[in-house]
Amino acid sequence: MTEPTISADDFQRFREYFYRRSGIHFEPSKRYFVDKRLVERIRANGCTGFRDYFAMLRFQASGQEWQALVNEMTVNETYFMREDYQFECLVESILPELAARKRRGEPLRIWVMPSSSGEEAYTIAIFLLERWPELSDWDVEIVSSDIDTRILAQAQAGLYSQRAIQQLPASWLQKYFTREAGGWRICQMLRDAVAFTRVNLADPREVDAYRDYDVVFCRNLLIYFDDASRRQAAESFFDVLRPGGFICLGHSESMSRISSLFRIRKFPQAIVYQKPLEGL
Amino acid sequence: MNEAVKHILIVDDAATVRMYHRAILEEAGYAVAEAANGVEALEKVEAAGYHLVVVDVNMPQLDGYGFLHALRGRPGPQVPAIMVSTEAEDNDRRLAFKAGANHYLVKPTRPEHLTRIVGLLLGERA
Amino acid sequence: MPLMKHFAAPAADDTSLDEGPDAWLAQLAAPEAAARRAAAHALGDWPEAVPVLLCALDVETEQAVRSALLAALGRIGNEEAAAGLAACLRREDAWLRNAAIEVLRGLPGQVAAVIAHLLVDWDRDVRILAVGILDTLRHPSVETWLLQLIEADGDVNVCGAALDVLAEVATDDARAPVTRLLERFDGEPYIAFAGKLVLGRLARSA
Repeated sequence: MTEPTISADDFQRFREYFYRRSGIHFEPSKRYFVDKRLVERIRANGCTGFRDYFAMLRFQASGQEWQALVNEMTVNETYFMREDYQFECLVESILPELAARKRRGEPLRIWVMPSSSGEEAYTIAIFLLERWPELSDWDVEIVSSDIDTRILAQAQAGLYSQRAIQQLPASWLQKYFTREAGGWRICQMLRDAVAFTRVNLADPREVDAYRDYDVVFCRNLLIYFDDASRRQAAESFFDVLRPGGFICLGHSESMSRISSLFRIRKFPQAIVYQKPLEGL
Repeated sequence: MNEAVKHILIVDDAATVRMYHRAILEEAGYAVAEAANGVEALEKVEAAGYHLVVVDVNMPQLDGYGFLHALRGRPGPQVPAIMVSTEAEDNDRRLAFKAGANHYLVKPTRPEHLTRIVGLLLGERA
Repeated sequence: MPLMKHFAAPAADDTSLDEGPDAWLAQLAAPEAAARRAAAHALGDWPEAVPVLLCALDVETEQAVRSALLAALGRIGNEEAAAGLAACLRREDAWLRNAAIEVLRGLPGQVAAVIAHLLVDWDRDVRILAVGILDTLRHPSVETWLLQLIEADGDVNVCGAALDVLAEVATDDARAPVTRLLERFDGEPYIAFAGKLVLGRLARSA
C-alpha cells in the first residue's frame, strides 16, 4: 500500500474538527506532528486514505477512534511539577482567597483526579508545605481518585522513575524522596498525607460520595470524554464543590465549552473556574 | 506615513464564516485572529489587544450580546465592535447598539461593506 | 501535621433505585433550588419522568437546576426526550436553545425521527438551528439531509449554515447539489466562498 498523504485541505478540515471537539488548536507549524500521527491512525484502522479515515472518525458511534486519536495527539505523560503554573496559582491566589473567606477550623479539601500514579497529588502536597506559609493554620485534606485500582496501588506505593522526578527542584527532591534500587521513593509523611480512592467519574452515583470540596484538579481527562459525559462530569464537579470552590482543568481545556455553571476567574498565574458563591 | 498593521478579532461559531471574514480582511491588509464563541473571545481579548472586533450574535456559551456587555465592562479604551447577525429588523439593530456595538451588519456580509465599515471605524477613511 | 488523610468513602447508596421516582418527582417542586437540582439529576434514571422534566424546564429559572434538567433528559435520551428538546428550538431563551442543541447532538438515533420536520420548518431560525444539530451529529444520513435541504431551501443563511457543515462531511454526492446551489445564489459572495470551499476540498482530498 502506498503511503497515505495528508493534503493542506485535509489538515485544515482535520484541525477545525479537532478544535471543535477538544478545544485543542493546532498551529500550521504543527503540520508535521499532526500528519505523521494521522497517517499512523489511517494505517491502524486499515483505511484507504484521509477521507476514508475522517468519515469513520466523524461518524463512529462508539467514539473509540476518537479516544485513540486524542491519545496520539496529546502529551499524556504524567510527572511531578507538570503544568506547575496552576500549583503556583493554588498557593498564591486560590488558597489565600479561600482562607480569607472560610472559618478557622473548617478543613480545606482538595480533590485531584485522575490520580494516575500520584505525581499530581503529591506535587500539590509539596507545594502546600513549601510554598503556602498559612498551611499551619489549616487542616488540608487531599484526596486523589482514579478508575484504575492498579494505578492507585502504584500511587500509594510512591516509587518513581528518573523521568517522573526530573522537573522537581533539587532541594525538594532531597527533602521528600529517598533513592532506592527501583527509583525514587516519596517519604512516608507524604504518602500518609494523600488519600487515594477509586471512583468512576462517569457514574454520578459514585461521585455522590464526594462533597464539600474547595478545589478540584481535573487536568487533561475531559478531552477524552464525549460531549454528554463531559457535561455530566461538569454537573458532578459542580455538586462536589462548595459554593465559591474552584476547578482547574488542563491548559488547553475550557470549562466554558462544556458547561455554563462555572465562572471564569483570571488570576495572574492561571485561568481557573469557580462555582458561584451565591445560589446553590 | 508609517502605519502599523491593525489587528482584528473575528468571533463566530461557524468555521466557514471565520474563514470568509479572514479572507476579506487579510486581503484588505489587516492581521486577523479568531475565536469560536464569546468566552474564547474574551479570553483572547484578555491576552492581547485588538483594534477592532467583528462578532456574531448567535454563538454557544456566550453570545454576541453577552460578549459585548463584558467587553464594554472592561476598564480602559474601548475597542470598536461590529455586530453581525442574520436578523434584519430595526429592533435587532437597536439592541445591538444598546449592547455596545458601533455598527451592525446583516448576514451574509458582503466584502465591500465589511471593509468599508472596518475602515470607517478604524478612522482610515472619511 | 496540617496535611491529613481523612477520607472514608461511604458505601454507594443503591436504595434510591429501588424506591422508584415518586419521591424525586415530588422534590422537583421543592422551594430550595439545591433540592430541585438533586431531584433533576436523580430522575435521569427514570424514562417515565421525561414529561415532568420537560415541564420543569419550561418554568425553571435557576440556571443550575436547568442545567441538571437538561443533563437528565440527555441521559434518558429517548425519542420522547428528543422531541421535547427539539421543541426548545422555538424558545426565546438563547441559552436554552443552544443547550438543547448540544444535548440533541449526542442523540443521533433519536434525532433522526424529528430532524426532517425541523429542517423544513416555516421559521428560518429554526431551520438554521436544526442544521446546527447536524454539526457534530454522528448519523450516517447527515450529508443526505443537508443535500436535500440545499436543493430546496430558499433562504441564503440556511443554505450558508448547511455549507458550513458540508465543508466537513461532504462526499462526491455533494458535487452536483452544491454546484446547483452556487448557480442559484450567483452573486452572493458568501455562498460562492463556502460553496467553492466544499468543492475544493472534495477535489483536493485523497
